[in-house]
Amino acid sequence: MSSVFACMDVFLRDGLMYSILALGFYISFSILDFADLSVEGTVLLGGVSYSLLVCKGVNPWLAILVAFILGSLAGCVTGLLHVKLKIRPLLCGILVSTALISVNLVLAVVGNGGSFNGEGALSTISFSRSDPTVLRTFPASLIPDKVGSFNFRELITFLVVALIFKLILDWYLKTKNGLLLRATGCNEQYVSMLARNPGRSKITGLAISNGYAAVAGALIATSRANANQGMGIGMIVIGLASVIIGLSLFGKLRFLKPTTMVILGSIVYQACLAIATYLGVPSAYNKIIMAVLFTIALVFSNSIKKGESKA
Amino acid sequence: MIEFIDIVKKFNVGTPDETTLFDGFNLKIEKGEFVSVVGSNGSGKTTMLNLLCGSLPIDSGKILLDGQNITKLSEFARAKYIGRVFQDPQKGSAAKLTILENMALADNKNKRYLLTPAINKKRVDYYKTLLEECNMGLENRLDVQVGSLSGGQRQALALVIANMSDIDILILDEHTAALDPKSSERIMELTDMFIREKKATALMVTHNLRYAVEYGTRLIMMDKGKIVLDRAGKEKQDTEIDDILHQFNQISIECGN
Repeated sequence: MSSVFACMDVFLRDGLMYSILALGFYISFSILDFADLSVEGTVLLGGVSYSLLVCKGVNPWLAILVAFILGSLAGCVTGLLHVKLKIRPLLCGILVSTALISVNLVLAVVGNGGSFNGEGALSTISFSRSDPTVLRTFPASLIPDKVGSFNFRELITFLVVALIFKLILDWYLKTKNGLLLRATGCNEQYVSMLARNPGRSKITGLAISNGYAAVAGALIATSRANANQGMGIGMIVIGLASVIIGLSLFGKLRFLKPTTMVILGSIVYQACLAIATYLGVPSAYNKIIMAVLFTIALVFSNSIKKGESKA
Repeated sequence: MIEFIDIVKKFNVGTPDETTLFDGFNLKIEKGEFVSVVGSNGSGKTTMLNLLCGSLPIDSGKILLDGQNITKLSEFARAKYIGRVFQDPQKGSAAKLTILENMALADNKNKRYLLTPAINKKRVDYYKTLLEECNMGLENRLDVQVGSLSGGQRQALALVIANMSDIDILILDEHTAALDPKSSERIMELTDMFIREKKATALMVTHNLRYAVEYGTRLIMMDKGKIVLDRAGKEKQDTEIDDILHQFNQISIECGN
């Protein structure tokens, strides 16, 4: 029985952690209809910059804010490549995430005391026991670390952070600027006719979505107690699958906001992965399970769409 | 006043398919005129609208709006002065937004889109009265997603949206072509009503000769990038379908339509 709880503990934590990434994908993929691959780089950028600052003793909440800003800047680059240079979305993402590999490596190496030519230090930034991560500073430090076998403090902190970012997004999408972003996603021509530059709206959306991805990276680093260069791999599948599962599984429930659906989708997706591990599937198979789950989610959401168009 | 001066527009430049549509095209439209434009496919009607709205660049020449040169302005910069309704009813509004959200966005045109609440409850009654004029029951469906409306309803909404801000020019790009006969009659009546109310300069491209004759203060027929018939004032009022039908057929036969 205790292993069931351990399993729940893991998927709730991971689900909440990745839900911020999924919220980012909700903006780029669902609202803007932009397949943004730069996220693989920005998640890591968030993780590395956060870890770096925390190891230097900076307040972790401030570090999360910095991670958000850096992620947003990377998102702006993706957007500018697309809007100003007319490069296709997929290629913009590939360009930015490739460039970020170097940025992240240099940041990590320099953070560990190496030199700019990338020699003499590790590329993984690890926290020591005393480093003030989000979990070890006020106000999270007031929460009891464990309740039973649950990592209570971690769960509550991630839940609160996820809710804060969800509420900010909910609020933003109801502002004039947010409404314009949603309009840009479904009809650029319409936005042009409103005498607004749809390109600017797109860049804004990509900046926010990559900012969210970077915050997710910061939480992932907190949870794993390190930020290593492989962290970004698989993030696109995790984010997209969470969005698609959330919107297709809970789409019929009109009283739920799409952002809530996305968070629930992220938890469901992580639950599936955790159950696979619980059933004894070796972790080497993790990525293939992720891909299969993603495929199922895609097929499922397609069949729902078909049903709607028939009705 | 809209002026097209010595417009040159070529397509597929630098390929064997290079064609010159406009070669020194000139047209002057007075303030407050309601111009109907007819012509066969490929005669340059829609291209003329696209050049005016900035959807397509021109190769040479200039376009003046009330004496101001707008040739270099981007499409969204010109949209300040222009309202446009397209042939495709889906282009005039955002499908995933509700009627209310679409109208709130349009209500804010030419103002800034900041981080303030998009929907102002005090304006809802005003939106309702605008929609009531359409007589399509839209006023009771403010919270419905626009994507679930019929083509006629969506086009009526597009027309309302295009007229919500202070525009100088209303562009109607075959805006009844995708609708059933009854809806298209209704949309034409609405169009005429809005133009009279707004006293805007209107430019309507249509394939329906009857609309072209019935509505508007000026009638233009285009063929291969040139104006072959231009009637205004009393001469336009006295024009009957049969007068222009013969000439229209002539053009169409030449084009093989």
